[in-house]
Amino acid sequence: MKFRLAAVLAVVFIVISHVALAQTKIVTLGASLQLTGNNANLGRYFRDGYQVAVDRINEKGGIAIGGVTYRLALRVLDNQSDLNLGVQQYVQLVTRDKVDFLLGPYSSNDTLNDSSVAEKYRIPMVQGGGAAALIFSRGYKYLFGTAPPAENYFGSTVEMMTKLDPRPRTIALLAADDAFDVSLAKGTRALAAHYGFDIVTDQQYSEHNTDFSATLALVKSKAPDAILWGGHETEALNFIRQAKSLDVNARDMFAITVGVPSADFRKALGKDAEYAFGMSPWLASPLLHDQWFGDGAQFARLFQQRFGYEADYHVASAVSDVETFAYALEAAGTLDKDAVRDAIVKSDFECVYAHVRFGETGQIDLPQIVIQVQDGKIVPIYTDHFLNKPRYPLPPWGKRG
Amino acid sequence: MKGRVALLGLCAVLLALLPLTGDDVLIQYGIDALLFATLAQAWNIIGGFAGYASFGNSSFYGLGTYGTAIAMAQLHLPFWVGLCLGAFLAVVCAVLIGLPILRLRGHYFAIATLGLSATLSAIIANLDISGRNIGLILPLTRNDTMFYELALVLLVAATGTVAWIARSRFGMGLIAIRENEDAAQVMGVNTTLYKVTALVLSAFFTALAGGIHAYWITFIDPASAFDLTLNVRMVIMAMFGGPGTVLGPVIGSFILTFVYQLLASSISTAAALLFGIVIVLAVIFMPRGLWDLAGGLRRLGPRYFLQNIRAHRL
Amino acid sequence: MLFAQILVNGVMLGGLYGLMALGMALVWGVLNIVNLAHGAFVMLGGYCVYFLFTGLHLDPFAALPIAMVVMFVVGYLLQRYLLNLIIRSSHLNTLLITFGLDVVLTYLAQLAFSADFRAINPTYAGSNVTLLGVTIPLVRFGAFLTALVLAAALWVMLERTRLGHSIRATSQNLIAARLYGVDPAQLYAVTFGLGAALAGAAGGLYGMVSQVTPYIGATLTAKSFVITIMGGLDNPFGIILGGLFIGIAEALAAIYIGPTFTDAISFGLLVLILVARPARSLRGA
Repeated sequence: MKFRLAAVLAVVFIVISHVALAQTKIVTLGASLQLTGNNANLGRYFRDGYQVAVDRINEKGGIAIGGVTYRLALRVLDNQSDLNLGVQQYVQLVTRDKVDFLLGPYSSNDTLNDSSVAEKYRIPMVQGGGAAALIFSRGYKYLFGTAPPAENYFGSTVEMMTKLDPRPRTIALLAADDAFDVSLAKGTRALAAHYGFDIVTDQQYSEHNTDFSATLALVKSKAPDAILWGGHETEALNFIRQAKSLDVNARDMFAITVGVPSADFRKALGKDAEYAFGMSPWLASPLLHDQWFGDGAQFARLFQQRFGYEADYHVASAVSDVETFAYALEAAGTLDKDAVRDAIVKSDFECVYAHVRFGETGQIDLPQIVIQVQDGKIVPIYTDHFLNKPRYPLPPWGKRG
Repeated sequence: MKGRVALLGLCAVLLALLPLTGDDVLIQYGIDALLFATLAQAWNIIGGFAGYASFGNSSFYGLGTYGTAIAMAQLHLPFWVGLCLGAFLAVVCAVLIGLPILRLRGHYFAIATLGLSATLSAIIANLDISGRNIGLILPLTRNDTMFYELALVLLVAATGTVAWIARSRFGMGLIAIRENEDAAQVMGVNTTLYKVTALVLSAFFTALAGGIHAYWITFIDPASAFDLTLNVRMVIMAMFGGPGTVLGPVIGSFILTFVYQLLASSISTAAALLFGIVIVLAVIFMPRGLWDLAGGLRRLGPRYFLQNIRAHRL
Repeated sequence: MLFAQILVNGVMLGGLYGLMALGMALVWGVLNIVNLAHGAFVMLGGYCVYFLFTGLHLDPFAALPIAMVVMFVVGYLLQRYLLNLIIRSSHLNTLLITFGLDVVLTYLAQLAFSADFRAINPTYAGSNVTLLGVTIPLVRFGAFLTALVLAAALWVMLERTRLGHSIRATSQNLIAARLYGVDPAQLYAVTFGLGAALAGAAGGLYGMVSQVTPYIGATLTAKSFVITIMGGLDNPFGIILGGLFIGIAEALAAIYIGPTFTDAISFGLLVLILVARPARSLRGA
């Protein structure tokens, strides 16, 4: 008798658990990221950003698609910073692992390759790792970018420069030769011309270059008022340290595209990072409301607690990539790829990262906030008006504390 | 002999039917494996038969890649014209560069070819027609079966060529050069002609593989087109399978590609580490490749491994 | 003035390049191994100095000898228990096994140290002196001097000590060395260890002028290659000269042709020099 009861209970239990299992449906997002290799440092920002967003959405009850509750799942593969492997892994994610939608890799070059897989299989990919104009020049229909266009990275910086006292007149423009930085330099030239600055030296250097001594000597001989620099973090670090050791100064200011928002970068440079202007489309602000995280500041605290490092705009854009799918899936009410794609086109929501809306080409457009390192911390300086007082002009290396 | 050829033909036919499964990942891996096997086989001609360890095959690969990309992206010509342009560039480069560089031996040849590849990459990164360092984007096609079959045809052609070399006077000459170049010269082998011909053949197949890959992946830049690790992989695959044999490089690259893909897709993150360890162990235990291993195991059993170590240790 | 500054920059950079190549040249010349893991040794040396500097607050220059000892041990063990196993197989196999080692070491470094940038940043890292309008960075100058000192020490060791004589004897003729009563296995391991130690020193200096990540190795290996070929395998000072030559050529190319051409110049020179050198001197390598 007892045995019978147990058996019945067991059967009931199994049936119930099966029903329960059947009810929690899952939408899987897939990405192939640089977890090892050259770009591992930035790859992990995206992995952690995706992960934190997926977990948070699930904690808050998942998403409702056509009246059914779905949970999100994340499948991440490591492409070892190898472009070819990245492409293969995206095909694998799509066809073998059957992920439903795609999140992007880090870097413009990877995105150029990997987005072709999304387009080939007509599966929407939302990515925040690639900002170069080339990515969005191909007319791809299934690719969306949450990183603002490279051309305009220095937009707010150059505008700010017209309002500084003393007003800088001459610019040294230095940028790497990869897709992102070429777009950047092109945009910056136009900006400088528009605001009436004189570019006294305009140098392109090889991506992955480690020695800037020759370029620095040239810059020194031109004595520019402002140095605007574009490249990867590794190169930025080398550039600044070598500028110090060769005593190369700009009269007024020094601004770089990357690095300033990253804690790791500021730590490696220590005091030498002071006064550097940078930019970020994102700052952990309580004004950025978010359905899942509350606001930007709460998100930043949560992230710091969980991963032990400070979130930067890469992380925030990664979160917005996941949320783009969450909103689009709810709006589409189906998992159908084309319906979701059409819903993404119409995206219009606010999140920890920004107000997300995609332009004609599928890329977001956000203003860059000018930021500066002051006493080891990031201080927002300028958007279209001054937010805080910049430390300006830049003292020469020899006169710093 | 005839039975063997028939068996190989059957294998090729079976491989050709693989796209019928409709499994895209399989086709994807297939394209990859076939292209790698072609690269290893092409390297085998100059590295395995003639004994000249080329690290410049990545420059032929890069030229093939860029030839195709420039034709398609910049000049808007059809794919096959691009393939021809790429192969033409690589062959011209092999002739021009082969004459002076093939005089060098051993490490010096290896390094000169390595330098060649780095130089070409740096030059391409500064030319407007090749899109400078940004790279070029090719039109997108959704026809992986075509790429697969093309890669298969190319591999069969390369292997056929190597099979012919292995049985021809030309191949004997190359082997003589590998074993003792001075003696070969004394015996009346036109060593310069033989070596340059071997390099040209190697460049031709390598460039075609590069062209197919370029169209398939749709975006190329100097770093990926002139990737030195790709060259190292060709060498490893050929060495792993058995350099100077007809089928060794093909089998070696199939096995290694399979292992690498398996690692990269299943455990993902430690794949590089395991791949490195596999290389180290392979060099220690089977320094003459799978082909030799197969014979050696039959002869000696597990003692084969010990014997290898005994033969090569200090 | 710009020209003078460029020249000085080139010389300073070249000294460091030379030191980087010194270890590779030694191993290549004596053991006939082209060590593709050389850059990885430089990287490990950089981490050694970094941790001694941040952990124990040792001055980076004072930490160099310790890093050299550590790297010597690493190199010694690798040669003794791994590379000696295949030293007599084809030269391609030694290339392959060191390539495998490079992959493994790079991966382990990332596992142990993460991909974060590490800059060795002592208080004087940015200091410089100005002489006749030319700025000389102190750390680079220190690196340059260290390179000269180590090259001189290596030269003295090879020419004037018993160990050096036996190393040179081994490189010329293994059987003769055996007759000398030298244990080649031991000697090979010592030589490889010395090569690794020199790489380690270069790594520490590199971390001071640049930064250390697990992935710096590959480029540094390539550069060391070029310089070794340029300088020849016979004389440590030749290697330093090769480094200077490359350093100056790159600096001049960066200014007068364009910074994106530095690689084209240094590798192009490599090919030209190899091709132009009399064929006979390169035979039988």
